[in-house]
Amino acid sequence: MRTRGAILLANIITGLTLGYTVSNIGFGDYTELNRMFTFQDLRMLLSFAGAVVIIVCAFALLRVRRTPGRIHAGVIPGAVLFGTGWAISGGCPAIPIVQVASGYLPALVTILGVTVGIRLCRWANARYFHLDRGSCGL
Amino acid sequence: MSGYWPWWAGAAGLALITINYALTTDRSFGVSSAWDRVLHWRRERRLEEMDAEFTDERALADALAAATAEHFGTSPTAPPAPYGTSQLLETGAEPTVNEDTSVTNPGPAPLVTQAALLISIFFGGLIAAVTSGRFHLRFDMGPGFRNVVTAHPATMTVLLFLGGVLVGFGTRLAGGCSSGHGLNGCGRLRPVSLVATAVFFGTAVAVSFLLWKVI
Repeated sequence: MRTRGAILLANIITGLTLGYTVSNIGFGDYTELNRMFTFQDLRMLLSFAGAVVIIVCAFALLRVRRTPGRIHAGVIPGAVLFGTGWAISGGCPAIPIVQVASGYLPALVTILGVTVGIRLCRWANARYFHLDRGSCGL
Repeated sequence: MSGYWPWWAGAAGLALITINYALTTDRSFGVSSAWDRVLHWRRERRLEEMDAEFTDERALADALAAATAEHFGTSPTAPPAPYGTSQLLETGAEPTVNEDTSVTNPGPAPLVTQAALLISIFFGGLIAAVTSGRFHLRFDMGPGFRNVVTAHPATMTVLLFLGGVLVGFGTRLAGGCSSGHGLNGCGRLRPVSLVATAVFFGTAVAVSFLLWKVI
């Protein structure tokens, strides 16, 4: 099950189901997102937290491989910038795609911003920060 | 509001997606990481080609070493680690974190699969929007954005762009986003993911309150 074709299939299934689920939870709706972050409505917060609790239990039961990760100097500043951008634009990197798919055309600008930010970070890291990649995408 | 899923259905859906991915690929998925690799596809493809060549050379070296050992009765020295595992050392990670040492790190998912992930998210979102009756082409971001952030189209465009830049830059600096750190990392109880998730969520709460109550 770990061949290139199987990984491709797994990514297609994950993408389709993630887009479908995230859209139906309401993460693409700025009104719902702001209500979650200001604790006016706990539904989406419970969805996320509930998912994490289920995943923690399942990974422990199934003894899923732990991936290492070091808290390097970029983690906290990066998370602050991300949190600020998420609250303003309503988009973590997957959400603007879902927003466009729901008909919110201005989210194309958010996607453009995300791509500029990602390229900027790799450039700035190579030139100034010299942090390890520490990617969670392994 | 407008037929969104109850919290338990959302939680079950997100959890199933994450668990299924981990079991079928032995990896974590991260949308910001997928973006990063797709946007730098030339460099990533070169790395993949180098990795494939290295794997071939390593297989040849292993075969020669085994043949030598068989002929002379000496044990070969350990071959160097391939790209996928050497990256672990580059990140300065403690190898002891791997609970199951018999399983080697499979390395990053192939580049094409990351592009497929992003495209599939679009189609998944489109299916959800169309089947639920929420699909509606519009040039604004909805009543929430209009009331809380701005109703002015030019200001909206600038803020969405700047917000996007912060999201792109921040997620890569922090090494992950709400899927990579939030679901996959927190699910594995990785300290870095727990810290990152607490910080980006806390900041988003603070900024949202500022937008809602102050600005």
